[in-house]
Amino acid sequence: MKRLVFAFIAAYAFIFLWGWLLNGVFLKDVYAQTPNLWRSQSEMIGLFHWIIIGQALIVFSFVIIYASGFAGGGVIAGIRLGVLLEIAAIGMRLGFYAVQPIPGKLILYGSIGGLVEMVIVGAMVGAIYKPVPPRTA
Amino acid sequence: MNWKKFFIAFVAAFGFIFLFGFLWYGKLMNGAHQEVPILWRTDADFGNHFSALIFGHIVMAFFLTLVCGRFVPAGGAAACATLGILVALIYAGADLITFAVQPLTTKILCGWIAGDLIQFAIAGAIIGALYKSESRMTT
Repeated sequence: MKRLVFAFIAAYAFIFLWGWLLNGVFLKDVYAQTPNLWRSQSEMIGLFHWIIIGQALIVFSFVIIYASGFAGGGVIAGIRLGVLLEIAAIGMRLGFYAVQPIPGKLILYGSIGGLVEMVIVGAMVGAIYKPVPPRTA
Repeated sequence: MNWKKFFIAFVAAFGFIFLFGFLWYGKLMNGAHQEVPILWRTDADFGNHFSALIFGHIVMAFFLTLVCGRFVPAGGAAACATLGILVALIYAGADLITFAVQPLTTKILCGWIAGDLIQFAIAGAIIGALYKSESRMTT
């Protein structure tokens, strides 16, 4: 349980930092090309708690999935799970791209950034979380 | 991995996800979506990007089936439905972030989250019911 909490905190801290770097710094100019699709800066600040809760939910679900079905495989299993889930998320992004006038560049860079993010998250969770060995009689 | 069963489960999952998406997000939530028309492509533009929608659904169904195969190698509707719910929570987290950065209404946010949970729980159950590894089949 302790390791589960550590894995969650470490992965959350990384995802928060990476999300800010990717979306707030690297892709800032790409977002600026479609201002009508995004909230104003002040509105986003007012709703910032939803970003924190959303990221926490993503990391929580990832850690639980890893602990329930992938633990024991270590870093490699974590990376594998991260890649599988991120490629499924790329499918979702393509769905959004079909219905919203989001620039293709944003989908491409967002997907590459998402893949890097989930590989690192998977590696961190896989390295930190270790299943409890079964008790021998 | 039993690839024949895997393929059948993937096709069924794709069929369900696509149909559910059309009914839930396209029909049931159409009124809610129209409250913020600036966020959506026009019908003609959507038609031009329809292939991305199909391909996105194929990718989602394929990788959900793959995660189910690895997570629950023996299959089983209940276990895979549980995994589907956990995967839906990841999508729900992404929905919350989208809500914070895009001018969505709370009605749209709630509809998307409910849709994700129902869609992935049922898709997981379908995959789990259809996909069974060789070891489970022979015991």
